Amino acid sequence: MSDVSQPIAAAEQPPRIAIFFDGVTSRRREVTLALLDQLEIVETGEAAIRWAYADIRRADSPAGLLRLSCTSAPPLARLEVRDTQLASDIVTRCARLDEHRTSRRGVAKIVGWSVAAAASLVAVVLFGMPLAADRLAPLVPEALQQRIGDAAEVQVKAIFGGGVCNDPEGQAAFTKLVNRIRDAAGLDASVKSAVLPTSVPNAFALPGGKVYMLKGLLDRADNPDEVAGILAHEFGHLKHHDNMRGLIYNGGTSFLIGLLFGDVTGSSAVIFASRSVVEASYSRDAEQAADTFAIEMMHALGRSPKPAAELMYRITGKEGGKGITILASHPLTEDRLARMTKEDQPPSGPPLLTAQEWKALKGICGGSGKV
Amino acid sequence: MNDFQWAPVGPPLPVSPPPLPPARVDFTGDRGDFRRLVTKGAALELVTFGFYRFWLVTDIRRHLWSNTSVNGDAAEYTGRAKELLLGFLFALAILVPIYLAYFLVTIEVERFQGFASTPLFISFYAFGQFAIYRARRYRLTRTVWRGVRFWMDGSGWAYSLRAMLWGLLVFLTLGLALPWREASLERYKMQHSHYGDLNGDFVGDGWTFFKRGWWLWLLSPVAIIIFPLAPFFYAEFKARQWRWWLSGIRIGGVSLESKLPHDAFYGLYWKVIGWTMLLSMALGMYVSICTALVVKLGGGSLEDVVGGDGFNSIPLLALTVIGYFAMALAFNIVMRVYLQRDLWAKVLETTHVHGIEAAANVRASGELASALGEGFADGLDVAGF
Repeated sequence: MSDVSQPIAAAEQPPRIAIFFDGVTSRRREVTLALLDQLEIVETGEAAIRWAYADIRRADSPAGLLRLSCTSAPPLARLEVRDTQLASDIVTRCARLDEHRTSRRGVAKIVGWSVAAAASLVAVVLFGMPLAADRLAPLVPEALQQRIGDAAEVQVKAIFGGGVCNDPEGQAAFTKLVNRIRDAAGLDASVKSAVLPTSVPNAFALPGGKVYMLKGLLDRADNPDEVAGILAHEFGHLKHHDNMRGLIYNGGTSFLIGLLFGDVTGSSAVIFASRSVVEASYSRDAEQAADTFAIEMMHALGRSPKPAAELMYRITGKEGGKGITILASHPLTEDRLARMTKEDQPPSGPPLLTAQEWKALKGICGGSGKV
Repeated sequence: MNDFQWAPVGPPLPVSPPPLPPARVDFTGDRGDFRRLVTKGAALELVTFGFYRFWLVTDIRRHLWSNTSVNGDAAEYTGRAKELLLGFLFALAILVPIYLAYFLVTIEVERFQGFASTPLFISFYAFGQFAIYRARRYRLTRTVWRGVRFWMDGSGWAYSLRAMLWGLLVFLTLGLALPWREASLERYKMQHSHYGDLNGDFVGDGWTFFKRGWWLWLLSPVAIIIFPLAPFFYAEFKARQWRWWLSGIRIGGVSLESKLPHDAFYGLYWKVIGWTMLLSMALGMYVSICTALVVKLGGGSLEDVVGGDGFNSIPLLALTVIGYFAMALAFNIVMRVYLQRDLWAKVLETTHVHGIEAAANVRASGELASALGEGFADGLDVAGF
């Protein structure tokens, strides 16, 4: 687009015309170039500017235009050459023209470092986080655990319709049962537990020493040993700080996996999937350990752990073949039943509750208790 | 909200005045080059677990910027991927304690009242707006034309506060206040944008935008019922938004004018939809074929492989994941070619610049901004371009 006009005295052959921006103002300068021992940029009436060939670098430009910058000039100074002959003359003189551009080797380096970073993140997720969670969980101050537990409790109660079951006789039976297991477990009296009035058959532990049993589970239980085994399992979670371990582990892995996949489109699905697999395996280990704890407790009380597994099996049925086992947060119920059956032994201690107390416990949520 | 965030950076531009004919804005980029660029980039993004995104996004901008010329002079993007990577790492270092604090505050609030912490999400929205402003600032300071940079001042938090208050108003008016929000935020951004010693301004007003688009707002429930209309409505809205936005831009004595036709984007959106359907069908066929193969080779029944709630076979799961990645990759390429490159070209070819002579002798000025804003935007997932 530059119409060339002024004849130039400087150069030998055809006028070597280019456009120059000095990087200080936006004025478009028509200049002539002289390819001497340095590149000389001459604007009529101005002092010549000299760029050493070794300092010249290529800048981004549209096709058909050679755009140059110079490391010893203002960073945004640009020389634009359209004439192909002139452009190639300059290019042959500038040995370091493309030195700053990402080369094939540069790309290989990026790939290499990324893979190394990914490998180290994966190693941290698989080995570092479980270790960190195990070491840190017992160190979390009781007060903080308490607070987290309180927050979770508010949510739980909101979900299950508020309130706890408190029929006085049932409560007395429940307290007796809980205390026996708690003492056997060596947990202190700060542990609280209650029955929540919902038909969902489940039980869970919250941080800060809270164990909840849901009425649905109690309704399906046939004897105190069944309920006791489940409670012992939940106390195992408390004893092992599983809530805090899970919190630290899940928080850490979500963060690291999110970091790993960044914003590749659709990554949320990938993040979700990999988190599910990793966290489920961690959780299965924790469940296994809680089962071990429950078995020991039941033996210590002179009762069999098997009834609890039977209760679970009654509730879930056979699980194998349903869904992907690597995504399950608990071991398969049939496997747990098999394990506890192996640990079965005839009762050597007194029953945990009398028939009277058992009946009261079943009715803890008010009249509806059936034996 | 995506395209709008980066938009301001675009073509350096121009003005309206005397009898001179308007200057042209041209896009000279080769479509094949761009396609190869994003294809290679998408593949590298995959093998680097996404870390290549910093290089890819930089290459895309370099391509678009350097092939955009105003009055015959091409722009240039001087940002580099390493700056983005560093910005991202710094942003992480800052975000980690914030996430932790967020977690602790959540606990305190939840103790007080179940689910009361939901509004805390709003604080992340505010942070996202801040990131958007700072990311724009980074891009603008890397935009060079005629050897002089653009730059920005103003405060990201002041912008964020405006965006939040306007957002609330838009929410309360069911979207009707959107044009005024856009106008106000754009005014803030442009009045704090500069090209050398020229100051930017934005003269578009909400009322004009409203008059151009109110019937789309009114008809939007129709698009929810008659689904195939939705892309038309959206394309129509985007075209009107672009045209209004570009025509409001002023930089010193330079002004922009857009003659973007209202139906300019129909084709683009339908092509993206077409490709998406094609890709989904391809993925569906691929998974069916894999399932058939696994059943045949594994000797089990279909129920054994795909039983109950999902896949039961690990090989099939792995094959599906590979197929999913390939599709995400192809989809990224389609999005970038149509919605970044083609859309950019369409917008530029209908843009004219008046008063370009006001930019003939501008003095360089302003500070370079760091890429921290881009890092936040990446970390919070709010970045556009």
